Amino acid sequence: MDAKTINPQEKTLKVVGTRPVRPDGVPKVTGLARYGADFALPGMLWGDILRSPHAHARIRSIDTAKARALPGVKAVITAADFPEQKYEFIGPERVAVNFWHMTRNIMAREKVLYEGHAVAAVAAINKAVASAALRLIEVDYEPLPHVIDVDAAMRPDAPLLFEDMITRGVEPAPDRPSNVSKRIEFKLGDPEAGFAAADEIVEMSFKTAPVHQGYIEPHGCLARFDAEGQGEIWASSQGHFVVRAYVARLLGMNIGDVLVHPAEIGGGFGGKTVIYVEPVAALLSRKTGHPVKIVMSREDVFKSTGPTSGSSMTVKIGVKRDGRIVAADGVFKFQAGAFPGSPVMNATMCGFAPYDIPNVRSVGYDVVSNRPKSAAYRAPGSPISAYAVESTMDAVAAKIGMDPLKFRLMNACKSGTQTAWGPKHAHDGCAETIKAVLDHPAYAAPLGKNQGRGVASGFWFNNGGESSATVHVTEDGSVAVATGSMDIGGSRASMAMMAAETLGVAYDQVRAIVADTASIGYTHVTGGSRVTFATGIAVVEACNKVIAELCTRAAMIWNVDRGEVVWEGGCARHTGQNAGKIEPLTLKAIAAKRAVTGGPIGAEASVNAGGAAPGFATELCDVEVDPETGSVKILRFIVAQDVGRAIHPSYVEGQLHGGVVQGIGWALNEEYIYDAAGHLLNAGFLDYRIPVASDLPMIEAVLVEVPNPNHPFGVKGAGEVNIVPSMAAVANAVNNAIGRRLTELPMSPPKVLAALDSGSKG
Amino acid sequence: MAQASARVVLISSLSRHYTDGTKEFEIEAKTLYDVIRALDQRYPGLGEHLEEETSVAIDGEIYEVAYFHALRPGCEIFFIPKIEGG
Repeated sequence: MDAKTINPQEKTLKVVGTRPVRPDGVPKVTGLARYGADFALPGMLWGDILRSPHAHARIRSIDTAKARALPGVKAVITAADFPEQKYEFIGPERVAVNFWHMTRNIMAREKVLYEGHAVAAVAAINKAVASAALRLIEVDYEPLPHVIDVDAAMRPDAPLLFEDMITRGVEPAPDRPSNVSKRIEFKLGDPEAGFAAADEIVEMSFKTAPVHQGYIEPHGCLARFDAEGQGEIWASSQGHFVVRAYVARLLGMNIGDVLVHPAEIGGGFGGKTVIYVEPVAALLSRKTGHPVKIVMSREDVFKSTGPTSGSSMTVKIGVKRDGRIVAADGVFKFQAGAFPGSPVMNATMCGFAPYDIPNVRSVGYDVVSNRPKSAAYRAPGSPISAYAVESTMDAVAAKIGMDPLKFRLMNACKSGTQTAWGPKHAHDGCAETIKAVLDHPAYAAPLGKNQGRGVASGFWFNNGGESSATVHVTEDGSVAVATGSMDIGGSRASMAMMAAETLGVAYDQVRAIVADTASIGYTHVTGGSRVTFATGIAVVEACNKVIAELCTRAAMIWNVDRGEVVWEGGCARHTGQNAGKIEPLTLKAIAAKRAVTGGPIGAEASVNAGGAAPGFATELCDVEVDPETGSVKILRFIVAQDVGRAIHPSYVEGQLHGGVVQGIGWALNEEYIYDAAGHLLNAGFLDYRIPVASDLPMIEAVLVEVPNPNHPFGVKGAGEVNIVPSMAAVANAVNNAIGRRLTELPMSPPKVLAALDSGSKG
Repeated sequence: MAQASARVVLISSLSRHYTDGTKEFEIEAKTLYDVIRALDQRYPGLGEHLEEETSVAIDGEIYEVAYFHALRPGCEIFFIPKIEGG
């Protein structure tokens, strides 16, 4: 552990690392913030979507005549109104987009593949008429057998969602179709030899329930078309440039003919990196010539939008008696939902990534089933495999009689450790987070009756990529920053802080906004914990261009060589023979002379940022289990995460809190419950129970700062890895509280009671 | 910048599809663009695939594939699946 953990007290930065009042706070709590559902235009129609009552059925016919005849109905559309798309996977492995699939997810064609699958849509003068029109659409279905559970979907006799789907990644290719879309394998060393050399081997199997991201704001948008055929969309999303690209493709338009305005977002967690209602509203608008607004209900969100996968997993770990891991094997089977594309590849890559293991095999299966197509959810895939791996890690530690954190620390990866998927780790940070928990007084605190303590670690890649930013000096010397990154976690504040720090001005002199798709360069989604890193680099680069221009203007004002001017402390300073004799020029003073020195001062920077550096987290959870009810109470939770450097520590701590809360919900309560016909029974927050404040203690966030040398301020992504260890930490705590290992999530009270009654110890 | 030899590694699915199973290459290159062009000359179509569908780890640092990445002598280059987050 050569890397220095920066002590926040030693920072010399003036703005970065401070905690100014968050600019988005007041608008959000006073109702001034405008979300996707808050936009309206004159002449606006309401759109609504008819959804499948069946989990799996062939569509024989759709008759919309009665709906179209209803007074007040302006348009009715089905999949036939969307252009057909070519069947091809486009783009990178994990997120390969197949528009043949996407257009069928937006509006079913030959078959409906899950309850809630859209089959038709209407635009009408108000919501009531739109709703009445939906009831007049006659769909003739041929119900088909369905399958939801991933193990059931992989059986040879399972009902097939696609009769011609041949598993990719298997050679020779299977001669029969199945629901297995893809097989993935990563291998390092010789796992068989590794296990043969092990003194102890633990093998365990696990299942996790599918869960939803649980964002509070349902999907909603407003779309309009102008006379020239340009579409305009106001939408809540994690990436308005992606909304623009997908809508343009699905409607057969040029990307430049779609303009998307970013609305405030009420949570996304990955689930708003894809589209649902946007192309439907846009098509209805194009057909009617009116603006059209569609807002999902909560039931729509649960039944029709992308949750993350349920899974079935088996993990085997072999160790020497001294605690060294010598081999690991994992088989991870993930529900993709109705179309291929679960995050199982990430799961296979991340599961064993925190550790230095010489022999690893990690296999993943992407399996379609009759559920909504899965969408990204906070470090997609990694929390699921971490639950299996970290639970097994605890069992291994117990078997060899070793402290579970010291066991993890002994095997922790560091810069130079070989990964199973190819390259070596380039950054430290894993051991530092383990040590932060190991050294925390809570780790040695006594526990009471029915109480248990669990720990777990996790890895997530963090992303960089394409981002754009502009920085303009206004007439009075204040600064306007615009980026293309949707602000989900406080990025307007962090962008303003990085700009203020770079320019050397006060934070309250800088105002940051999110610009629409026509006003700023392409910027990839707010996801993958990439914004503060990648868009932050763009902001700093734009600021540096502005500084160069400010120095040029100052040289002009002083009539000196440009090379004699430097920017220090928010001022242009003369360094030539008259250094110290010429008063520095402030940004405000230079802005006042902008016209006579060349006009407005501003710059844009677009980057494709790399070297994001991964995130590591280690967590501690104390629980108390009620033996009468099986209820699990979280007593204490500590999350130690390597964040590189926290620009606004309060926002970063908020990310850590949020990830842990979602992990606790995943561990204890959240699950999709289906009846025998494949109908979702708990499509609302009363029955799909995410944790609320009264369920939780104050979560302690420990910001470990191992700076990333690839970012001007050392930033590493902070939004995702916090959820990765959480389910395993809770599971290990429950195991230690009751002496029995539950191997299925959620560990709801009935399951805990059943485990207590079973008498078998894990 | 002098030409330098880089060790280039492809994941199995790429090597199966494009290179008859060959996974590792030694390539003289100054930039990542040189690597992509060299591989594409040997295996037509591979360059486009690498540009559009992979990320690249250069000495462990993960980047989007971009032509301009400079390479140090003896560096390790892994073309790996692109990762998307939530």
